[in-house]
Amino acid sequence: MSRFLFLVKEALLSLRRNALIVAGAVLAVFISLSLAFGALVVNEILRINTLAWQEGVHVISFLKDPGVDGVPVDAHEALLAEVRSWEEVEEARYVDKTGAWLEYQELFASQEELLDIDPNVLPASIRIELVDIDTHAAIKSRLQQNVLVVREVTTAADSIEQLQNLSSVLNVLGLGMAVVLGLAAVVLIANTIRLAIYARRDEVSIMKLVGASNWFIRVPFLLEGMVEGVVGAALAVFAVWLGSTNLARAGSGFALFRLDVGNDWFFRWGVLFLIFGAVAGIIGSMLGLSRYLRDAESSGAEVPTGF
Amino acid sequence: MIRLENVTKVYEGGTVAAYDVSLDISKGEFVFLVGASGSGKSTLIRLMLREEPVTRGKIWVAGKDITTLPRWKIPYLRRSVGVVFQDYKLLPNKTVAENVAFALEVLGRPPSVITDQVEQVLDLVGLADKGARYPRQLSGGEQQRVSVARSFVNRPPIMLCDEPTGNLDPKTSVGLMKLLDRINRTGTTVVMATHDHAIVDAMKRRVVALEHGKVTRDEETGRYEGALK
Repeated sequence: MSRFLFLVKEALLSLRRNALIVAGAVLAVFISLSLAFGALVVNEILRINTLAWQEGVHVISFLKDPGVDGVPVDAHEALLAEVRSWEEVEEARYVDKTGAWLEYQELFASQEELLDIDPNVLPASIRIELVDIDTHAAIKSRLQQNVLVVREVTTAADSIEQLQNLSSVLNVLGLGMAVVLGLAAVVLIANTIRLAIYARRDEVSIMKLVGASNWFIRVPFLLEGMVEGVVGAALAVFAVWLGSTNLARAGSGFALFRLDVGNDWFFRWGVLFLIFGAVAGIIGSMLGLSRYLRDAESSGAEVPTGF
Repeated sequence: MIRLENVTKVYEGGTVAAYDVSLDISKGEFVFLVGASGSGKSTLIRLMLREEPVTRGKIWVAGKDITTLPRWKIPYLRRSVGVVFQDYKLLPNKTVAENVAFALEVLGRPPSVITDQVEQVLDLVGLADKGARYPRQLSGGEQQRVSVARSFVNRPPIMLCDEPTGNLDPKTSVGLMKLLDRINRTGTTVVMATHDHAIVDAMKRRVVALEHGKVTRDEETGRYEGALK
């Protein structure tokens, strides 16, 4: 126990005595993890917004008038009930002729010449929101089979597919950037810590000569790397959170685009980034130290002839 | 205590630093390794510490064949051998007391024992009042005494010294040799590589002379002179 405490004390002392080198390593972690975390935040903003755009009406089934051409009087209610029982359907809403007329009036309120139409011209419809947007084609064909009641079925197929494509491309891009920047962070951290250890290589060799085992030498350096990684990551998370919160506040007027990611998300990913920083710091220290902990292995060359 | 049997060390590139060296050093002996620069003195010290593996031959230190020692056991060898170098090799970010204590921390000694032993050994080397100073605040002679204190603090049976007086003026060197002599009288085997004529002649101890990696002379109470023939 006293040995472990000694090693922790060593790490803390070393952090204090090598303040400039430590500041360099923390800065490296901060910059690289800020970029990686920033990329994740952008990715999350895009994900939230594409999700929001995907909400709403996905399929509209226009209906024939009841009591005409053999359409039963209660056909609309029956179809609505059936549609609502389908498991692919999140929500189904019935819009009668009057509702359709009112909607029409609202939509073309600015174009008076279009407003004067007979309310009977517009058909009643069922507006359907799906659980999974991918099922729109199946729902469309199922509705079309009901030729007695259904006049026409329209879906937002093209725009749905475009939105889905855009969403997956943005997701891949955002995650890809976060992963690349995360890897760059590990390399940058490893390099900075390696430089820090290079500056103290004599110290390492002296420790070895006094009989310190590799782990005895390694532990304080690993703790140092871990502290540098965690501090740098905490600063990065805080800076990105601050920037994102201010951006969301500034953009709160946008109706179509949400910029706030939510503190829950920040907390969850912030903790993960702190762990990532700690692990990156430890790996960086391991890589940086390995060269100086290696013992001479070569037993040398052969004795030259004639010696 | 130390036995070298037909030890040869050839560095990459073909430099022969030691050739067929055989030596027996008994417990409590004080042995000088003398010779010109490049004669192989420091290489022998490095081989005894397993800083370098031998090319051929065997080395026993305190009864153990260190040429076949697995890597993870090397620290244990070094804990039983004190080492003093020409350039002191002190940890610059540690105080005098912390430098000396480090050798005991490595062994996992409890803090109370460490404090006691560090005090004792600093007293022995005449630096009892300088424990809180950093190496850069000391003279060369004082730094070398810290180095001796660190190597002796855990009472190792063997001390290896590589040109310990190389950076010191004659008067300070005499002081250091008196210290090493005192340590040797406690039963510690001392092997010292040097090319300091005056010290070797004054001490009248065993002298092993080296030339181009070969032992050319081994005298019980020798002088330096013969080494450069």
